[in-house]
Amino acid sequence: MTLLTRTLPLIVRPPLPQTGRARRYLDALPISIIAALAGGAVLAPERRLSLGPEIVAMCAVVIVTAWRRNILAGILTGIVAIAAVRALPSL
Amino acid sequence: MHSREVSRAALDPANDNARTASLRALREGWPVLLEPFVGVAFGVLARGAGLDPLTATAMSALVFAGAAQFAMLDLVRSEALPVVVIATVLLINSRHLLMATALRPWFTPQPLLARLGLGFLLTDETFALSTSYYARGGHRLAYYLTGGLVLWSVWVGATLLGASAGAALPEPRQIGLDFAVTAAFIAIVVIGVRDRLDIAIALLAALVAGLLRASGFAVVAVLVAGAIAPVLRVARR
Repeated sequence: MTLLTRTLPLIVRPPLPQTGRARRYLDALPISIIAALAGGAVLAPERRLSLGPEIVAMCAVVIVTAWRRNILAGILTGIVAIAAVRALPSL
Repeated sequence: MHSREVSRAALDPANDNARTASLRALREGWPVLLEPFVGVAFGVLARGAGLDPLTATAMSALVFAGAAQFAMLDLVRSEALPVVVIATVLLINSRHLLMATALRPWFTPQPLLARLGLGFLLTDETFALSTSYYARGGHRLAYYLTGGLVLWSVWVGATLLGASAGAALPEPRQIGLDFAVTAAFIAIVVIGVRDRLDIAIALLAALVAGLLRASGFAVVAVLVAGAIAPVLRVARR
């Protein structure tokens, strides 16, 4: 399955659009899909809308990643932030 | 003066041989090449989802796709239909179609089997590093191969470690490890956005996915939200 998407253009050379709407759509697809993965986990971690620790941790990840331009720093921040917020006694 | 010219020539990627291209890949790419240690988290979560260490490691070795593998775990836990799993993985990895197309000029002279092998090693990280190397005049496949093979080895080894030591490690939720994947997705989006429209697309996709997931459509949330939001870029201009 994953080999298919990786090698198809190397084998059959499909006429992928270089310009136009289809190209713009394909350009935006990766960010959209990855954001959708993140959005579901942050906004509805238990399959219902919640404003829980995930929102706080998400903000921390966004700030640190934008500042350090480093994905690993963002991941570590997220782990520490969510553990810290969960450890807080509920008010 | 002469020695400076010699060292400058050695610094030029265009003068690389296979060995210096491999060393350059390690020198330039080491922070990125360490990223698959997220594989430890994958191993732990895979174990939690009921996969044994061997199956989890084999999955990493054969599928070799971080985001897609995490999504597969999530969908399998949600008891999604196989067709939804396949469609989601294809959609997540559809970006590889474009990346492979961009790398075609350097891979085309190779025989079919070699192109299949090179394609298998294609990841966001190797793509980013290699296109930057080729843009600077580099032309060695050794650069791409080194990056790809190191990433693959680290990813598979890390999965085995996470899946085997999973029982000995604390519950992922206790130490926030369950959020590692989500944090990785968020960080990848933050690094990947190029303009305000990208930010709007990411926010729309995240919101739609969250609403769908909360409304009982969890198994298709990513598929639908991921496919809808890019329409913003088509509608613009």
